[in-house]
This record gives sequence, structure tokens and C-alpha cells, in this order.
Amino acid sequence: MSQKVKNLIRWLVFILVALIINFPVLATLSASLKTAAEISRNPGIFVQSPTLENYASILEVSERLNIFSYLQNSLIASTIASVLPIVLCFPLAYAVARRGYGKSLIFPTVVNLRAMPLIIFAIPLYMMYQSVGLLDTPLGLGLILAVVNLPLALLILVNAINDVPFELDEAARIDGARIFVILLKIVFPICLPALATVFIFSFITAWNEFLFGLMLTTTDAVPMTVGASFFFSSGGGGVQWGVAAAVIIVASVTPVVLGILMYKHISRSMIAGAVKG
Amino acid sequence: MTRSTENRILATPLVLFLLVMLGFPTILDIIYSFSEVSFENLRSPTFNGGQNYISILNDPEFWSASWFSMKFGLATAFAECILGLVLAVYLAPIIRKNTWMIAVLIMPMMIAPAMMGLMYRLLLHEFVGALPHYMFYWLGDSPAFLSRENVFTTVFTIETLQWTPFAFLLFFMAYEAIPGEMREAAAVDGARGLRMFWHIEMPMMLPTIAVAFFVRFIDGFRVFDNIFVLTGAGAGGATTSLSIYIYLSFFRSGEIGNAIAASVILFCVSFLALFFAGRLLRRSGA
Repeated sequence: MSQKVKNLIRWLVFILVALIINFPVLATLSASLKTAAEISRNPGIFVQSPTLENYASILEVSERLNIFSYLQNSLIASTIASVLPIVLCFPLAYAVARRGYGKSLIFPTVVNLRAMPLIIFAIPLYMMYQSVGLLDTPLGLGLILAVVNLPLALLILVNAINDVPFELDEAARIDGARIFVILLKIVFPICLPALATVFIFSFITAWNEFLFGLMLTTTDAVPMTVGASFFFSSGGGGVQWGVAAAVIIVASVTPVVLGILMYKHISRSMIAGAVKG
Repeated sequence: MTRSTENRILATPLVLFLLVMLGFPTILDIIYSFSEVSFENLRSPTFNGGQNYISILNDPEFWSASWFSMKFGLATAFAECILGLVLAVYLAPIIRKNTWMIAVLIMPMMIAPAMMGLMYRLLLHEFVGALPHYMFYWLGDSPAFLSRENVFTTVFTIETLQWTPFAFLLFFMAYEAIPGEMREAAAVDGARGLRMFWHIEMPMMLPTIAVAFFVRFIDGFRVFDNIFVLTGAGAGGATTSLSIYIYLSFFRSGEIGNAIAASVILFCVSFLALFFAGRLLRRSGA
């Protein structure tokens, strides 16, 4: 077989695999563009008469299921969960990368959190939050999602600081600059690409999280993933499949767009995270 | 300021945060696991010795949930690694020239597992779902995907289709990182095709394969989101993972002490697993 034919088969395999693994997304997108009548008449993937009425219908039920509130809660919680790991891990990452500090205890503890089933902390956190008033608040949700994001943040930042030339901060040090000045004025700007990667990766993870949203919020701070599942519990007249599909699409746009913009960086940091984790 | 003071200051914010967010809950976990506790006396639990542990260990549902998690974690990790490896190596020649293909293939990873589960609620629905529609159309029959007999295969397939891209991505990167000289030297010795893969490339990718398997096993073992939104505890409890078991004992049945005792057991098992996995990885030089 010539190389050309071989590559043609590879292309066919690629297209087939891409269609299979993305089929749920395509089917949901297609359902979100159909009228209720068309969904039951034509469950297939092709839309005969596309319409946006399902997206408009999301707004009509917003008194009962407020999608803006879900989106806002997800936005606040995810922002906290992406900024906080940077603030907390950046100083420690410097100590780890430059001085090998914390390599025996703090560093492995944080990194191994990646492999802990975090539900084991959910119940005591529920009690803790209840007594300090963090239950059902975006802040409370953001704080625990920040914990989820710590391992990868620390790994990426340690790698990034390792790549910063040693002479840069050593020179500043000899000039008498204090450690915090060095961190903020010299190391921080050089690490900006890595910090952006941490931010976006953490944001996607936090936005997509479900379990803590389910356990630690009830009404006011419900995030988008949990809110979307409400559209599937039939209140009276059965599930409105078109509207439910539209809600899933709305909930998934943010992480998918971020992911596509960032996929090169994400693959690189996943390597860092996975290989060293 | 001496260096060691500086180091301590640099570490302080993270350490304090961890103590509050994880240290305190861990202590609560341990205390409550030895206590009689319900939503009524949440603040003043009464000590009851090892009662919770005894009742957990005698609960057949705890064991079936543990068995489910173990089976699910191993099966999905295995399938994802095999499929990911085949895809990465087979498609490498065309992906190398078209890196945008990576973005298409890792798209499922960007979707929340909970949203993926909800998508399948629609996709598998017997009247409005696309999959039964096509199966009836082409094969004349469609299985009950969420019945007790089929549900494990269904959730296994869903998890595998969403996370094979993770294994694929790691393996593709590892495959591309193999130095060209290695391949050339092996080719001079007459190795090509499958033999080249088996004797040269695969051993070089082994550490990555081990890591991918471990990460996928962990995530499969603690699975919650996609199964919970798809079946709840449904299908006669056939899909109750350990995470779902803990959640259900806490909220639905109000057996808080049991839920916490199960958490502590899970904590200890994970800790041991991590400890040994770490030693194993270090010994193999990964």
C-alpha cells in the first residue's frame, strides 16, 4: 500500500473517531435547534427547520430556574477558584524551585491531593460551612474548588520558576532587593504565560465541577452544572428536551471556547502535571 | 531576614489555607466517625465507639459500591489506555502535520462530566434520543441502555469515550518526544512497524503509560458526576460508586455517622494506594 492510501485511511479513522467521541455534543446541539414537535418526530442528528426558540424559552422559565443566577454563581466561584491557587502557590513554588524547600512534605502533600477522592472532605466541610455561614454561598464553593485546583497550579508554577534564569533574581538579590520585590517585579512578569495557563485550566475545572456544587449549595449559590440538571427533573409536564439541550449548550460554551483557545498550552501543562504527578 | 524565615513566610499562606480547608475537616471526619450523629444533633455528637465502622463493614451496599468503584476504575483505565495508545501511534503521522486535530480529539475533555451525563440522558432516551432512533433504523432493535443488565456497559462506554482523549493526548506527546536517532538506529538494525513499536517505542513510553493508567484509575474509582445525573442511584443500585454511596448515606438516608466512617475508610485506602504507587513509580524511575 502506498503512503498516500495509508494516510487516507488514517484520515478516515480520524473523522470516524472525532464523530463518535463528539457525538453527544453534536446530538445535543442539534436537539437544541429543533422545535418540540420536531424532536419527537425526528430524533436524528439532522435539523429540518432550525429555530432558536429553545434558547428564548430558557428565559421564560427564569422565575423558577434562573440561568443568569447559575451563570453568575459559576463565574464568581470559578474566578475565586482560579485566582486563589495562584496567590497561594506562587510564593511556595518559588521556595520549592529555588531552594528545594518543602520538597519532603508540603509539595508532595499538595500534589497528591490530585489523587484523593475529595468527597471525603465534603461532609465535614458541609458542617464547617454551616456554622460559619459559608453554606450556599459562591465564596464557600470557590474556596473548596480552589483546593481542587492547587495540585496542578503548584506543579505548573514550580516548572515555570525552574525555567526562569537563576541569575536574574540573584542579581537583584545582590542589589539588596527584598524577596517580595523580587517575586513581584522579576519572577512574576516572566511567569505570566504559565500563570495564564494555571488561571484558565483552573477556571475550566472549577466551572465543570459538580459534586461540591451539589452538596454545598441549595438555592442562592447553585452553579451552572447543578442548575442545568434541574432542567432535567420534570416539573409537571415532563422534560422539555429542546430547552434542556439548549441549557447544556449554554453551560458548556465557556469551557469549550477556553479549551480551544488554550489547547496547546493545556496539553503542555497536562504533560507537566501528569508526568511529575 | 534569613533564608529559612523567608521560606517559612513563603509557605505560610498555602499551609494555613490547607490547615483550614483540609486539616480541620479531617479532624472532624475522625471525631464524627466515632459518634452517633444526625441532622438534629450535628453540633453535639455523642461518642459511640466503633459502631459506625461496624455497621459500614456489615453493610452489603458498602461492599458492592466498593466493588463497583474498583471494577469501574480498572476497566475504564484499561480501555482508555489501550484505545488512547492505538490512536496516538496510528494517527501520529497525520496529526504531526495538522495539530488542530488535537483540539478536535480532546474536545470531550472540556465538557463537564455532569453535562456529558445529561447529554446522554437525551441521547439514549427511547423516544427522543438519537442513538435508539438510529439503532432502530439500521438494526431494527435498540437495547434498554439503562436496564440493570446493560447499565454497567453503558456508563463504562460513556466514561471511556469522554476520557480516552486524555490518554491519547499524553501518549501522543510521549510518542513525539522519542528522539529520532533512536528510531533510525533501530531501523538500521531492521526493526520496523509493529516490531519497532513493541521493542523500541513502547518501552520508552512505559512511564507515561503507567502515569496515565494511574490517573485514569483514580478518576474512574471516585466517579460521581456523570453516573449520578444519568442514573441517580437507579438501576437497582447497580451503578452506586463509592462516592455516590457516601453522598446518598449522608443526604437521603441521614446516616451521617456511616457516611463519615465510609469517608475515613476511603481516605485510608487512598492514602495507602498513593503511598505504594509513589514507591513503585520511584523505583521504576518515572
